[in-house]
Parts: sequence; C-alpha cells; structure tokens
Amino acid sequence: MSKVVFEKVGKKYLSTWAVKDIDLTIENGEFVSFLGPSGCGKTTTLRMIAGLEENSHGKIYFDSDVVSDPLIKSFMLPEKRNVGMVFQSYAVWPHMNVFDNIAYPLKLKKLKKEQIKADVEKMMSIVELSGLELRKSSELSGGQQQRVALARGLVMKPRILLLDEPLSNLDAKLREKMRKDIRKIQQDLKLTMVYVTHDQKEAFQMSDKVVVMNQGRIEQIGAPADIQKSPISEFVADFIRSGE
Amino acid sequence: MIKKIVYGLCLVFLAALFLSPQVYLYLIPKLSDFSSVLLNENTLKAITNTLFVSLTVAACCLLIGLPLAWLLTRTNLPYKSFFRSGFCLPYAIPPFVGAIGWIILANPTSGVLNQWLGLHLNIYSYAGLIWVETSFLFTFVLLTALTVLDQMDSSLEEAARLSGANGLRVFIDIALPLLKPAILSGFLLSFLATAASFGVPALIGGPARIYLMTTQIYTYQRMGTANGLQMSIAVSVILGIATLVLLYGTQLFFSSSKNYTVGGKTSRPSLVPLNGWKKPVTVFLSILLFIIFILPLCGVLLSALSAVQGSWTLSGLTLDNFDRVVFETEETARALRQSLFLGLGSALICTAFAFIFNYFIYRTKWFGRTFASVIASMPFSTPGTVLALAFILSFSRGFFGIGPSLYNTLFLILLAYIVKYMSLSIKTVGDGYQQIHPSLEEAARISGADWWTIMKTIYLPLLKTALIASMFLVFMPVISELTMTILLTGPGLETIGTLIFSLQEYSDMSGGGASVLSIIVVMFILILNFSLKFLSKGRYGL
Ligand SMILES: Nc1ncnc2c1ncn2[C@@H]1O[C@H](COP(=O)(O)OP(=O)(O)OP(=O)(O)O)[C@@H](O)[C@H]1O
Ligand SMILES: [Mg+2]
Repeated sequence: MSKVVFEKVGKKYLSTWAVKDIDLTIENGEFVSFLGPSGCGKTTTLRMIAGLEENSHGKIYFDSDVVSDPLIKSFMLPEKRNVGMVFQSYAVWPHMNVFDNIAYPLKLKKLKKEQIKADVEKMMSIVELSGLELRKSSELSGGQQQRVALARGLVMKPRILLLDEPLSNLDAKLREKMRKDIRKIQQDLKLTMVYVTHDQKEAFQMSDKVVVMNQGRIEQIGAPADIQKSPISEFVADFIRSGE
Repeated sequence: MIKKIVYGLCLVFLAALFLSPQVYLYLIPKLSDFSSVLLNENTLKAITNTLFVSLTVAACCLLIGLPLAWLLTRTNLPYKSFFRSGFCLPYAIPPFVGAIGWIILANPTSGVLNQWLGLHLNIYSYAGLIWVETSFLFTFVLLTALTVLDQMDSSLEEAARLSGANGLRVFIDIALPLLKPAILSGFLLSFLATAASFGVPALIGGPARIYLMTTQIYTYQRMGTANGLQMSIAVSVILGIATLVLLYGTQLFFSSSKNYTVGGKTSRPSLVPLNGWKKPVTVFLSILLFIIFILPLCGVLLSALSAVQGSWTLSGLTLDNFDRVVFETEETARALRQSLFLGLGSALICTAFAFIFNYFIYRTKWFGRTFASVIASMPFSTPGTVLALAFILSFSRGFFGIGPSLYNTLFLILLAYIVKYMSLSIKTVGDGYQQIHPSLEEAARISGADWWTIMKTIYLPLLKTALIASMFLVFMPVISELTMTILLTGPGLETIGTLIFSLQEYSDMSGGGASVLSIIVVMFILILNFSLKFLSKGRYGL
C-alpha cells in the first residue's frame, strides 16, 4: 500500500483539457470516491493513476517516487505499477476459466503453483466465488463476472485498487450488496481504493473521502459529512441536492 | 402479395444463376475422369504445386499480416494512418499488375534490379511466385485481424497490463487467443485465394513451367479437344469441391468450439511504447511498404515510359507508349468501353438485387432465406476459373438448351461478374439494413405506406451510403477482372484485364503496352478507392 499524490496534474487532448490543475493526495488505506457528472474527467484521472493514460502536465507520485513527469519524460509503465483495476465492462477474459483469470497476475509473477492455488482459493472465498473455479467466464452472470474482476484485482496485492463505475451494470439489489461487500473487503484488508461513480448516494455511503469534480477540475474534497453539511459552491450544492 | 412474388423471383434468379451452373459442372465427370487426372503426371504436379504454393503463401501471409496488425493498432508507431492505408491498398490492386511489375524488376535476362544493382534475381521461380502472391494476399490476414483488433474491448488488454504483463505478453496471452477465429479465416482466405489465382501463376509460373490447377485448367480448355475439355472439367471439379469442403467444413468444425464475442464499447486503447524500437521499426516498415507496394509500381511506370524495353535507363523517358497504346490501338478503346459497361452493369445489378434481397433476409422470417443467402455468397469463394467453366458449359447451347447461345457474348461475361461479386453487395447492403431499426418501417406502415413505398421512401434514402459503397466495391474488382474473363472472352470481347494479359503474354512484349494500361488501371482504382473513402467519411474504402 502506498499513498498517491497529484501535483498540478493536467491532461490535454489537442486543444481541449480533459482534466486540469488536479492537486490531490490519496492516503494509505483510504477509500476515496471521485464524484461528478458525465464527462467531468473521473475516468481520465483514474486511468492516469494506473498509467493507462499519460498526463500531459504536472507530476504524479507513489509515496515519494515520481511515476509520471512529462517535463523530464519519466513515465512508469502500467505493468510496473502494481495497481489493480476493476473495469466497468469487467474485462473478464472470455478464453480463460475463472481460476485462470484470477491466477493470471500471479503466474506473471512466477509464483509457485501451490502458492498460486492457495492465494486464488483464498481470494475466491473472500469474494464468495468458491466452487466456480472451472466455470467458463462466458457462463457467469454479471454479478459473478464483477466478483471475478474484483478478485483478479485484489489477488496481486496491489498498492492501490481502482474501480471505474464497477456496479453500474448491476441491478439495484445486487448493487446494494456489492457496495457493502467492497467496503468490507477494503476495511478488512486495509486497502487503498479509488472508486469512480456519478451516484452521490454511493459515494457518500462508502467513502472516507469524496472528491467532487466538474468540467475537468476538482470542486471540493472532504469527508462525506463535511461536504453534505457545507458544500463549497453552488455546483456542489446542486449536485448533492439533485440526488435526493 | 407483391412481396411474396418478388421473393419468389429472387429465389428463382439465385437457383438459375448461382446454383445450377455449378451443380451441373460438378455432376459431369465420371469417376474414371478423376483417376485419369490423378494418373496424369502434369495434373498431379499441378495439384501438388497448388497445395505447396498455397500453404506457403498462407503461412507467409500470417507472418507478415499479424505483426503488422499489432503494430498498427496497439503500439505508438508514428504515421500509423499512413502505414495503415498503405499496407491495405494492395488489396484493391489487381495482382497481375504486381506480377508485371516484378517481371520488369527481376526477370533473369533484363530485370531492372539485376541490371542496376548487379543482383541475380529470378522471378520465374517458386520463390518468385510465392513472393508476388504473398505481397498481395497478406492483406486478407491484415484486414481480418485489423477488424477484430479495432472492435476488441480494450479493457481486456488493459486488465492484463495492470496484472503485470508487458505489451508483447498481452498480445500473446490475450489478443492472440481472441484473434484465433480471425487468424484461421485469414489463413484460409489467403490459402484459397492463392489456389484460385490465375494472373500471377500464368504470368510468372508460365515461363518457369510451374503450373497450378487454374493455369492447368486454362491450358486444357484452350487445347479445344474433347479430351482437353474433359480434363479441364475434372480438375475444376476437384478444385471447386476442395474449396467448398475447406471453407464450409472448417466453419462447421470451428464455429462450435471457440468463438467469443469480444466486441465491447470502444474505449481508448492505451498504446504500447516501442521506445528504442520506434526508429528501427518505422524504417523497417517503410522499406517493407516500399518493396511490397511502391517498387513494383515503379517498375511498371519505368517500363511504360521507356522507348526500349530491356535496357533500362532514366534518360530518354517518353510518353510514346501511352500515345501508341491509348490513341492508336483500336483494341484499347474497345476494351475500355466494354470494361466500363461491364463494371457499371454489374455494379448496378448487384446493388439493386442486394437492396431487395436483403430486405427479405433481415426483415422477414420467410422460409429458405438463410439458405438463399448462403447460395448468393458462395460463388465469391468459388475459384473464378471453375465458375467460368461452369458458365461456359451451362450457357453454350442456350441456357441448358433453352434460348440462344450466350457463349462468346458480353452478356455471359456480365452474368458471370454478377454472380461472382454479388456477395460484396449483399454484405455491404446487409450491414446497412442491420443498422436501421425496424421501428422506422413500422412507423411508415402505420402511416399507411405499402411495401414498395416503404422501400422507396424509407430504405432507399437511409441506405444511400451503403448502396453507393456497394456499387464502388463491385465496380473496382470488375474493372480489371482477368481470371474468369480470360475463359469467357472471344474475338472482339476484350476487357482491360484480358488486353493487358495478351499484350504482356503475346503481342507487345517489346513495347511496354501492358505497363501503360496497368498504370491507367491502378490510377483509376486508387482514385475510386479514395473517392469512396472520402464520400463515406472513412467508413468504406481502404
Ligand atoms: N481520447 C480523447 N480525445 C479527446 N477528448 C477526450 C478523450 N478522452 C476523453 N476525452 C474528454 O475528456 C473529458 C473527460 O472524460 P472522462 O472519460 O474522464 O469523463 P468521466 O467523468 O469518466 O465521464 P463518464 O461519467 O461519462 O464516464 C470528456 O470531456 C471527454 O470528452
Ligand atoms: Mg468514465
């Protein structure tokens, strides 16, 4: 686990800024949510942490190490960052069964077979998938695929786990359960998690810290209660109110 | 009611032109004919040659096509759209032009490269034949792989990178398995295309005495004897049946096992940095593109501009050849006129039929429509040589004995083109239909429109782009078709393809006439391709 620091980070596409002037610190073991309307730059910010997107301005640190600084052309590749991610589309590999999906990061680390088996089984029981090891991924429900993706992100013991609207394809009841499960796993394993959503209820219910974004900039950062009590701007107040 | 009648007419049209000539051909030979084919040294050699050359070409196509597809979609290669367009373009150029170019560049007696660089290349060889075929047919693998890679949900690969896999590992562990069906079909397509090719093996294999089945069929058919015809029919049937078995057999075999839908919302793929490899790879690809595409065209151009063929210099280039071939040869004008007629005719008829026929495929649940669409697409993968022979046999005494003989008429050539290239129209227009929501028709029907009005006022305008694209896509290969035409043609029936072929083979060896016409055809096709790409805003065209 480690802390992530953004220093004046920006991402420019040709002439438009996807995000601009992001200053942000994600502490060790924190559950942070990015909240905001569609197109405000949540996904872009998340993908810059993973290294799937290169920031064009500013610096990103993991603890005190620079992982991206365009000025000195320093950029750590995503495969070197040890960051887990759960995608909105799950991205469960259709040509591998459940076990192989979850075991993939460990195989790349060249762990011993027994070690891999033990780790995968343990993770599968944490996400409540035990018994489905040999199931083909194409024969899984949406909720089960979501859990496979979660287990695959967790099994590599990432320094940070990123989740991009992971629950938006699930029905309301399952969503409620998954929220609780994810939060519980985060607290049990003392993980750092960044969670992207445009559902304010979700953000306020799960997080230690909420980052409200608007048009590529951060509007307000704070604990859920603080933001709800004293929204810093008209935009934040509106955005919270619209969800109630 | 009128709908049912039209559907019935479509089925009759398909049965008469798409099914019966081939079935008729396949039923002619007796078993003893096959044994005489297999006992004959020449035909047996042609069969083993076809297998050997096609397999080697298909393997080389994978070797070039797959890494290219990866570089063009998954890495931070510079000038990507330029390379992409450049490497896909050979798909639209007739391969016999490439053969002519390479003969000029690398024939053993006076090849340009041999003269200028002191090399000892001999294009009249197995290696030469395989190289020229590969330099065009790798586009089959490239295009199928690009389609899948473009549509593949990029988060599948991103998840692997975050799991700790580097760019190459991701390609091997994730993309390659998901590409398996595309790889298989690309391999099969380039294999079958080699086996069905005529122009390249005729121009290059002929002088080298390397015969494939297609050139062997042509030779037998040209002999004009009963025995020759019998042999050409038997070899054709073997080639035709083998193609069918391979194509549909592998589909049956593999469709059950591993076919994933990997399409997803297209997100932004994160590109693998080539780092230190960037420069060497870019240089290598530029050289490859130059050798595959530019160099043979330069050869053709040089020959078209040279007064004396065979002793090549850059001084004294002249337009005399153009003058002579274009303005002073009466065959040229006739060939241009007839090719244009055939191109326009088949483009219009294929598109019109596809417009009506696809309605029944995608908007009704009527009996026989799936089978009918398979029949309509089948001739596209039938080797042109086989198809042409089937047409000659079915139409030479009237249509199976009914009506006048169409043999040696432009009309028979037109029919053959329509049957061969119908699949392109059906596919293009069919994709268009799939993107139109049925509710648009239902709304019109509720407003009181009958079927014909719906076709005219709803589908015709909505499908406009697809219909125009369909015409271009049929017109482009037809304008330079050679494989079928060479068998169907007769006195006075030149097309651009056959004229280039005969100029190159017999009549104009010393004059560069074939090169002149090749340049004109290539320019014409490139202009058509880029207009299509421009008109359809990049949706169609290479
Ligand atoms: N490849 C790109 N080229 C140009 N602009 C882009 C690109 N990717 C993203 N953008 C722009 O950057 C902005 C932020 O996009 P981003 O995907 O981060 O938003 P988001 O907050 O995740 O939205 P959503 O809730 O809809 O997922 C958007 O305005 C988007 O149009
Ligand atoms: Mg997003």
